[in-house]
Amino acid sequence: MQFTFDEDQRLAAQSLRDLLDDLCTGADLRRAAEACDATSFTVACATRRDRIKELGFDAALVPEAQGGLGLRPVDLVLLAEEAGRAALPEPLVETAGVALPLLAALAAIDPRADAVLPAAIGGAGIALRWPDSDLVVGIDTADLVLTAESETSLALYSVDQFEWVARESVDPLRRLTQLRARAVEPITVSRDASIPSLWREARRCAAVFDAAQLIGLADRMNALAVAYSLERKQFGKAIGANQAVKHQLANVQIQIEFARPVVYSAAGSLGGSLSAPTDMDTRWLDARVAHAAIAARDAADLAARTAIQVHGAMGYSWELDLQFYAKRSWALSGLHGGRSAHFRSLHEALMQQRIELGPDQLFGRSLPRGA
Amino acid sequence: MSIELQYTAKQRALRQEVREWLQTNVPKKSLASYDTAEGFEAHRQWERTLHSGRWSMVTWPEKFGGRGLDLIEWLIFEEEYYRADAPGRVNQNGVFLFGPTLMEYGTDEQKARFLPRLASGEDIWAQVWSEPQAGSDLAALRSTAIRDGDHYVVNGHKIWSTRAVFADWGFALFRTDPASERHRGLSYIVFPLDTPGVRVRGIPQLDGEAGFAEIFFEDARIPVTNLIGAEGQGWSIAMATAGFERGLMLRSPARFQRTAQRLVELARRAQSDADPGLLASVTQCWMDAEAYALSTYMTASRLMSGGSIGAEASLNKVFWSELDLRMHRAAIGLLGARAELRDRLGESAQEDLREAMRWMDGFLFSLAGPIYAGANEIQRNIIAERVLGMPKV
Repeated sequence: MQFTFDEDQRLAAQSLRDLLDDLCTGADLRRAAEACDATSFTVACATRRDRIKELGFDAALVPEAQGGLGLRPVDLVLLAEEAGRAALPEPLVETAGVALPLLAALAAIDPRADAVLPAAIGGAGIALRWPDSDLVVGIDTADLVLTAESETSLALYSVDQFEWVARESVDPLRRLTQLRARAVEPITVSRDASIPSLWREARRCAAVFDAAQLIGLADRMNALAVAYSLERKQFGKAIGANQAVKHQLANVQIQIEFARPVVYSAAGSLGGSLSAPTDMDTRWLDARVAHAAIAARDAADLAARTAIQVHGAMGYSWELDLQFYAKRSWALSGLHGGRSAHFRSLHEALMQQRIELGPDQLFGRSLPRGA
Repeated sequence: MSIELQYTAKQRALRQEVREWLQTNVPKKSLASYDTAEGFEAHRQWERTLHSGRWSMVTWPEKFGGRGLDLIEWLIFEEEYYRADAPGRVNQNGVFLFGPTLMEYGTDEQKARFLPRLASGEDIWAQVWSEPQAGSDLAALRSTAIRDGDHYVVNGHKIWSTRAVFADWGFALFRTDPASERHRGLSYIVFPLDTPGVRVRGIPQLDGEAGFAEIFFEDARIPVTNLIGAEGQGWSIAMATAGFERGLMLRSPARFQRTAQRLVELARRAQSDADPGLLASVTQCWMDAEAYALSTYMTASRLMSGGSIGAEASLNKVFWSELDLRMHRAAIGLLGARAELRDRLGESAQEDLREAMRWMDGFLFSLAGPIYAGANEIQRNIIAERVLGMPKV
C-alpha cells in the first residue's frame, strides 16, 4: 500500500507544466480562440503541438511490445491534470489516454490495425467517435478514426471516409465536429469477443482522465480567484481580506482536495493496458470511477462559479481569461452522460447491494490474476 | 515506488490478527455512555482490556506499551476497530493528543511517569484549554500559573473540558508570565484533577449528560516537574497538539466509513418510502466518507515518506465534521417519526428502536463537530490564509 506518486511521475508532470506555462498562457489561449478559421487556429497552436509531441507522451499507455512506453494509467493522471490546468486545446489526454491505447488493443488482435499502429505512434492523429455520440473533437488534426455502431464492434477508418461539419462548442478552444459517413470502407472492423470489455475499459479511462483534467481546471480557477482577490481593492483593502471571500475560496479548495485522492485512486486501480484489463472487481471499480467523475465535476463546478463571483463584473466579461478554464470545465462535465449518469450508476450500485460496504472495503477486492 | 493500492501480506495479516482479537474481546452488549459514572468506569475497563492485548496505543513505540505501527497499519487497525463496533475510546485525548505531545516535548522522566499509566487506562486525560473569554481566540486566555519555589500557584477558570468530570489528569495551558500578552508567556502544564484548589463542575451537554466541565482554580499548587517543555513554550506545544487533533488521528476515517455503511443500510431498508432527494444525499455521504478515507491514506503515505502535515489539517477538520453532521441528518430524515424516541425502555426493546436512538445520539454529538477542535469558521480562515495565501483580517 503506497498512495503517493513517485519521482518519475512528478517530474513528467512538472516538465509538461513548465512547457505549458510557457506555451499555453491565457494570451495563447485567447489568440487561438480568436483565430478566425481552422487554418489560423492551427497556426496559432502549431509550435505548442510540436513541442508536446517531442515530450513523447502520446504512446505512454501503448505496451512496450507494440512500440509504446508500456506505462499505466496512473502514470498519465498527473499529466492530464496539467493539461486541464492549462486548458490545453490539443487532445493530448484524449489521444494518449484513450484513443491510442484503444488502437493498440485492437492492433493486438487485428493485423490490419497492427499495420497502421506504427504510423499512429509516430504522430498520425487519431480521433475517437464513441458509439453513442456523433460529436468528435480534434478531427482536423486526425488521420485515423476509431469508431463503432455499438460497443460490440470496433472499426478503424481513414479520416477521408468521413465528411463533417464544424460545430461550435461553448468552449471556443474545443474543435468540435459532427461526423457523417461519406464512404463505408473501413481499414478494418473487429467483432472479437473481447471488444465490449475494451470499450468498457476505454470509458473508464476516459472518465478518469476527464476527471483529472477537471481537477486541474478547478485548481487553476481557484488560483486565479485567489490572485484577483489579493489584487482587487475595495473599501481601501484587498477584497480577499474579507471572510466572506476567504471562506468561499476555502470551500473550493476543500472540494478540490477531497476529489483529488478519489481521482488518483481510480487511476491507480485501472489496468495496465486496455487489453489486459484491471484485476479489480469491476463493480467496485465502476463505482470508484463514477465517484471520481462526480467529485471532479463538483469541484470544477464550484470553482468556476466561485471564481466568476469573486471577479465581480470582470468575471462576466469576455476580456477575462478565466472564461477559457470555466468553459472547458463545462464542456468536459457533460461528457459520457455527465454527473447524472455517473451518479445514477453509483447510486444504484449502492442501493442494490452490488458493492460491499464497510471500512475494510476501501480498496475493493482484487480478483485473482487471470480470472 | 508508484501508487500501489493493494495491501501487503504483512498488512493483511495484521488485519486478520486485529479482527480475530476484536471478535473475541469486544463486549457483546454496548457499554453505557462514558459521560456517565457507570459508563466511564466500563470504558476504563475496556481500555485495560485493549492494553492487555497491546492494542491500546498501536502507533506508540513498543517501549511505551505500543506496537510501533506505521500510519497505514494504524488505518487498518482503525478500520477493524470500527467494523467491530468496538467501544469509544474514553482516553482518546490522552492517546491521540497528550501522548504524542509528551513523546515530542516531555523529558524521559515525564515519559516514564505518564505514558505507561496512560496506556493502561489507569489515568484518563482531559484537555484543559478553553476559558470563558478564550475559545476560538485561545491566545486570549488569562488563567495564571505563578512560580513559587518548586510549585506553580494556579488561579483562573477553564471551561468546555471534555470528559473532565470523571477523568484523572488534565493537560492545560496557563499564563506563567502574568505581564505577557497573547501567545507569549504561556506554558503547558499537567495536573491531577483532584489537586486541592481545583474544583470541577460538570456541564450537561445536549444529550443531558455531563460530557464536559468547567474547572475553577483557587491557589492550586502544581509541582514544576509537571511543566512540559520549557516555560513560555506553551503555545507552540499546544499548536503541535492541535495539529495532531485536526490532522490525522482525532477522527480516523473508519469512523465515518462505518457510519456511512450504516446509513446506506438504513436507506436500503427505507428505499420504497423515502424521497429520492434524501436517498441521493445518502449516496453523496457515502462518497464523501470514502473520499475522506482516501485522502487520509494519501496523507499517511506522504508522512511515511518524509512529508509533514501543516495547515492542510484544517481541510480535514472541516470536511469530516460537516460530513458527520450530514450523515446524521440524512439518517434522522429516513427514520421520520421514530427518530424522536428517547426513553430508556427502548434499550431492551426492538433492534430498530435501539438503532434509531443510536442515530439521534450521534446526531446530537455530530452538532458539536463543527465547533470543537477549533470552530470551522476559524479553520476556513486558516485554509484561506495559510493554504491559499490570503491576507489576515
